[in-house]
Amino acid sequence: MHLDPKLIAALFVAAACSVPFGARAQQVVVIANPALQLTAADLPDIFLGEKQFAGSVKLLPVDNSGLQEQFLNKALSMDAAKYNGRWVKKSFRDGVNPPPIKSGDAEVGEYVKRTPGAVGYVGSAPAGVTVVNKY
Amino acid sequence: MTPVTNTLTAVCIAAALAVSATPAGAADTADAAKLKALEQKLEQSLRMIEALQDKVKSLEGSAAAKSAPANTAAAAEQSARLDSLERQVSQLGSGLASRSSSDDGLPVHGFADVGMRRSGENNAVFGKGNKGAAVGLFDLYLSPQFGDHVKALVELAVEVDRDGGAAIDLERLQAGYAFNDALTAWIGRFHTPYGYWNTAFHHGAQIQTSILRPRFLDFEDKGGILPTHTVGGWLTGALNVGPARVGYDAYAGNAPHIEGATPTAPSLLRRGELNMRAAGSGSHQTSTGFNLWVSPRSLSALRIGLHGLRANVADDLANNTRLNMLGGYGVFIDDNWEVLGEYYHFRNRDLSGASGTHGSNASYLQAGYNFGRVTPFARAERTRLDQTDNYFGSQLFGRSYDRFALGMRYDLNAKSALKFELNRTRQKDLVAADGITAAPDDSYIEALMQFSFRF
Repeated sequence: MHLDPKLIAALFVAAACSVPFGARAQQVVVIANPALQLTAADLPDIFLGEKQFAGSVKLLPVDNSGLQEQFLNKALSMDAAKYNGRWVKKSFRDGVNPPPIKSGDAEVGEYVKRTPGAVGYVGSAPAGVTVVNKY
Repeated sequence: MTPVTNTLTAVCIAAALAVSATPAGAADTADAAKLKALEQKLEQSLRMIEALQDKVKSLEGSAAAKSAPANTAAAAEQSARLDSLERQVSQLGSGLASRSSSDDGLPVHGFADVGMRRSGENNAVFGKGNKGAAVGLFDLYLSPQFGDHVKALVELAVEVDRDGGAAIDLERLQAGYAFNDALTAWIGRFHTPYGYWNTAFHHGAQIQTSILRPRFLDFEDKGGILPTHTVGGWLTGALNVGPARVGYDAYAGNAPHIEGATPTAPSLLRRGELNMRAAGSGSHQTSTGFNLWVSPRSLSALRIGLHGLRANVADDLANNTRLNMLGGYGVFIDDNWEVLGEYYHFRNRDLSGASGTHGSNASYLQAGYNFGRVTPFARAERTRLDQTDNYFGSQLFGRSYDRFALGMRYDLNAKSALKFELNRTRQKDLVAADGITAAPDDSYIEALMQFSFRF
């Protein structure tokens, strides 16, 4: 079968144009209270309840409703359904509660800045927090 | 338009009309006199207009001078109110942001299930199997946190037994102190942490793939041969060790007692059932156990564990048996596969008689594969329980059996599932209605349907 190169080029252009501009993934910045010393490798354990302490400090992860999907995909390689399912089992077995959900960057940033042990994620890091990782 | 301006306009109009009403061509003296008089009047009117204009200006200036301080005061008051509101919003936001997660209320979670079953079971020991619709379980649990280290777990379950009676059970009531990730100490009544199934699923029908638990791991009044709960203390934790995650459980508590093995009952038609002694007992016996597991960091879906349980168990016939259980398990759960396997080996010793040591075993292997919402699964169970062992010999469910089950789970959504299960069971160690004569094995098929949900 012979395909016209012009036809192929036209199909590529059409495909490229069909990608919505809004589909570009938003950056996710994981932030922590300045008193914490965390690494990117700690994040899956923290957000799945496996790591609850950093030294003597109780870790308090928070989810950001506006960015949760991107964060779960990038940092934990899972979707919200699987994340919630993991937490149901964890909570039922170990009596550990899942991270509370904050409404957006402003609320997460303020919480992380003011709360010892807090870890969250935002679109852009505010002043007064430690950036743990960027996705 | 102000009243003063209206007056001026009226005067001007009147003057203009007066001027325009005068004939332009009058040249006689009378007319000239009239004209002069009119001019005088006009001049007077113009002076009056000027005077009135001056008065208007004066009045407007005075009014402006009076209203200026009032406007300034209102603006200042409004500004102050805005500042106050802004401060309140800011403080409210800060307060919410600085709240600890432990202060966000106390969510109550739970599980429930309803379904149907048709069982072909028919023997002298267990009677005829149930058929028809059945209410399963309603389970509520909550996990309050009291600061960074202290927490609790409370679970209540409303269960329906084989005869349809409902009973409320305080499933768990445990208080814990988390020292760090490697050590949490619990005290109270908890799920006995042997193997994998008992703590991972327990009453959570919606989170387990199948409808039925492996029968030998079922609850004490539903076919189980081990104490599914313990009242006592429990140390647990997990930590990363090199390329693996390692976890442990160590616990000690009241040893169970076998109730219902009355001396008046025929020796083989026993009805004994494990009682966890939740309130202690006059003749205290202790149970101890452990569970060690390891999970490779590079393959976190896999977990392999070793577990053991030891307890001195008495029954109503004054038998005393040392329960010695040692087992192992392997679990692999990823996005598609769920493979669970557990093995329990018993080497129980007769402490009150001279029957010696008895070996028994129980195991199951279950595999399921998730195709999106649909998960077909299969499970094989097998127990070989020594009937001369007083521990099994005095329990109603301490009889050997084989079971093979096939089923399918369909997830309606993340919180509810519809399940179908078909199993074939071969019940061994039966007796006839006289309670003495050995009866042949009872092989039967059971079909089940269940709708389970969590909230």
